[in-house]
Amino acid sequence: MTLFRRLRHLLRRRQSEADMAEEMRFHLDQRGADYAADGLPAEEARCAARRKFGNLDSIQEQAREAHGWGWLERWRQDLRFAVRHLVKSPAFALLAVLTLALGIGANTAMFALLDNFMLKKLPYRDGDQLEAIYRATAQNPEGSIAPADFRELEREPGAYGGIGAYAYADTSLAEPGQPAEMPRAIRVTANFFGLLGVQPELGRDFRSGEDQPGSDRVILISHRYWQNRFGARPDIVGHTVRVNSLPHEIVGVLPVSFDDWRHLGWCDVFQPLALTPEQSADRRTAMLRVVGRRADRFSPAEAGASIARLGARLAADYPEANAGSTWRAAGLNAAAMGSTGGSLLAMLVGLSGFVLLIACSNLANLLLARTMTRAREFAVRSALGASRTQLLRPLAAESLLLALAGGAAALLVAQWVARWLNLRVSSDDGVTVALALDWRVFGWTLLAALFTALAFGLAPALFALRLNVNDTLKSGARGATGGRGHQRFRQVLIVAQFALAMVLLAGAALFIRGLDELNHRGAGWDSTRLVTGTVVLPAAGYPDAARITAFHRLAVERLQALPGVASAGISSFTPFYPWYDARRYVVAGRELPERGREPVALVNSVSPGYFTTVGTRLVAGRTFTDRDTPAAPRVYIISQTTARGLFGDENPLGRRIAPAGAGTFQWGEVVGVAVDVKSIVPDPGPVTYQLYQPMAQEPRARIEIAVRAAGVAPAALLDAIRTTMTGLDPDLPLRRLAPAEAGIDRANFRLRVLRDLLAAFAVLGLALASLGVYGVIARTMAQRTAEFAIRLALGAGVRDVTRLVLTAGVKLALLGSAIGLLGAFGVARLLAAVFPGMRLDTLPALLGTTLLLTGVALLACWLPARRAGRVDPMLALRSE
Amino acid sequence: MARKSDLLQGTLDMLVLRVLSRGELHGWGITQKLEQLSRRALQVDEGTLYPALYRMEDRGWIEAEWKTTENNRRAKYYALTRAGRKQLEIEQEDWDRMSAIIAQVLQSA
Repeated sequence: MTLFRRLRHLLRRRQSEADMAEEMRFHLDQRGADYAADGLPAEEARCAARRKFGNLDSIQEQAREAHGWGWLERWRQDLRFAVRHLVKSPAFALLAVLTLALGIGANTAMFALLDNFMLKKLPYRDGDQLEAIYRATAQNPEGSIAPADFRELEREPGAYGGIGAYAYADTSLAEPGQPAEMPRAIRVTANFFGLLGVQPELGRDFRSGEDQPGSDRVILISHRYWQNRFGARPDIVGHTVRVNSLPHEIVGVLPVSFDDWRHLGWCDVFQPLALTPEQSADRRTAMLRVVGRRADRFSPAEAGASIARLGARLAADYPEANAGSTWRAAGLNAAAMGSTGGSLLAMLVGLSGFVLLIACSNLANLLLARTMTRAREFAVRSALGASRTQLLRPLAAESLLLALAGGAAALLVAQWVARWLNLRVSSDDGVTVALALDWRVFGWTLLAALFTALAFGLAPALFALRLNVNDTLKSGARGATGGRGHQRFRQVLIVAQFALAMVLLAGAALFIRGLDELNHRGAGWDSTRLVTGTVVLPAAGYPDAARITAFHRLAVERLQALPGVASAGISSFTPFYPWYDARRYVVAGRELPERGREPVALVNSVSPGYFTTVGTRLVAGRTFTDRDTPAAPRVYIISQTTARGLFGDENPLGRRIAPAGAGTFQWGEVVGVAVDVKSIVPDPGPVTYQLYQPMAQEPRARIEIAVRAAGVAPAALLDAIRTTMTGLDPDLPLRRLAPAEAGIDRANFRLRVLRDLLAAFAVLGLALASLGVYGVIARTMAQRTAEFAIRLALGAGVRDVTRLVLTAGVKLALLGSAIGLLGAFGVARLLAAVFPGMRLDTLPALLGTTLLLTGVALLACWLPARRAGRVDPMLALRSE
Repeated sequence: MARKSDLLQGTLDMLVLRVLSRGELHGWGITQKLEQLSRRALQVDEGTLYPALYRMEDRGWIEAEWKTTENNRRAKYYALTRAGRKQLEIEQEDWDRMSAIIAQVLQSA
């Protein structure tokens, strides 16, 4: 009821005011009439009544309070006053809002990143029960699991109510009359979607038993793929497409919420994981990613313990496959982001917080300066009896208004940054990562704005309150120079700004140098004028080694014959990216190491033309030739590091090695030594040995083709290459066919985005900090003009005065940089931890950053300092 | 001007409610009535009366209505509500108890 009445009063405020005025007029008239009846003349009676009544306005004000909206009324007045005040100094208002918009905007955008990547749960039912199960080895703490081991886990699920697995697949999909394509596909166990709690939007889930060889010709597709590839046609369920050259039926479409890349990546086609009996018995090929749903009655710790027990048993039972490996489980929500993603995002939010802090202290400085020019006004008002709250309120209103305007502008900035990020963070197929600004982000912005208003708007206001009324009034019209306290406050702000800017700059400098080094180290290969692409031969059309080898031979022949092509080659891996085929080897004539302890090498199967095509130089021996066929003796080419590691100073040529394993060894001869190849990926992993074998001696269905252009731009070859390959087999899609440079450029694109963000923060921070020191020095200058005039009049040189101002500012900047150095070391440590493969030359970067920062501070101080020397003593002193 | 007793803090509400319990009145009427009932010993300050009236209206103890006076002028008349009547009872009880206690203390001391 009360609220209702109040609301009515609020809504009909004009009416209420009129009522109040009329009621009081009535009262006055009555009293006037009363006095008149006592014999006073009419005019006097009215005056007496007015006198008796007291201050009409103040009574009305008290009456308004009684309606319960007094505070609102006060705020309305304060805000109106603040608006008028700000409009009167548009330059200040604009500068403040802009500063805030940049600071809060950067921060909001980073929070949006964090929100989208980490805070949102995966679109699965009861996702907190879901756990990713890893087989951790020294090489990979998040390793995959071999099928035979997975079967044991299925038989012995321990704390898990359900176990499912998936594996990435190279899948081609074709429809009659359309070119084949390679969608991103995974193969999943039939219970997979049920385990996650995901229901298809259309059609049905896989049935149990459909993950058996022979009955697996069904696929599910993602909502996105249904929309983009099939135009959202309603009769999609039951439609038949050719998958890996065999007809498959589309039985269902997954819901749109499942189009979340964080867990499975951008995945469009889902096939049943039909393992053949021999695949199921495979304990060496770690190919399965495993997900388990923890049963309700077990805690994550208990589940982790049961998984670790199973891992220990498998390591003991099958040492040749599992020695040295342990099993562990991690919550799926956390695992989806990876171990480094979280700390990276936290770092970004933290660094953007630094930008915000710098912006805030700039604002505090601006407000403080502004408040000080009004010191006299405050003193007068306080002398006239205004209370502290009454003095504070308009200041608070002003900073609140600024913060809200800044927050609104910040949303625009954040939106802009989000759009830019959407463009940059999109996956290499151009699928954009939707960076939505939702209510959580808005809330964050509001909080940031309010925090800014409170922390940095009220600090100057409190200083204003501490001013001594008497001193201020006596100090004349000059405006207060400000006491020692807030001079100190400003200096602290400047020092803090430079410290923060130092951290931002150092972080950016380190990262830019690190990434540059990474992208250009490219040792052991030459990506200029090179075109690469991936081809996968489906088992249906290419069932045996002979068929695959025939295709390889023909493809290389045709590609080499194209005009503008210098050479062509095929391999199982490109030299730019890590190789995933790690095998153990033994050396002939040496004592055999313990099982599972043999040296590990990364293996690449290559065609004869590979080395000349990708530009990997041989330092000794010969390359592979067409005579290295399956019938011929086995031959290997090893890298220099491998040669040194296996044979030391001895000549490796002619020595024999063989893959470790049970039974008799299949010895092969080392015929060549190649230079070491370094990929562009930051973390090369612990395996440093590289080994090549002839493609013909172990033909691969999945190959990377490489073509080197001669005299033409590599991009000009793309169409000819595509036509050649389709001419060989129309069902074969070519994935990622592009000039190698373009691919390499895209490969580290996340790092590049990170670099750009860090650089943007650094530039923003530096600009704001130098603006801050400029403003403070300029203000001090203006206030000390008289002092300089006296100094000049007493014979000080222009240089002395300039130096006075300059040193004051530079001292602060240097102190700030020194403090910032500590933070910069922290950022360097963090970056080094997240990107262990990146070389971060801390010292030169920090040195350069310090120099830059000092230089900028010098410039920012020198501009106002120059004016100090130009003070005309007579003019300045006369104007007193 | 006659010597005026300051109203004890918080008693104005009770007095106004009491006055209104006899029938609706406008603000001027309330001041007149209070002076009359206290035989001019109490003078109500307009600066406290109106805020008090609005406050009590806000709390729902009284409600206001515009009416015409005998002299044909529009005036805002206040009347007690049911809540106001209850409030008056409460305040009166409190007052009685309080004054009894005070009287007892004054006598026995």
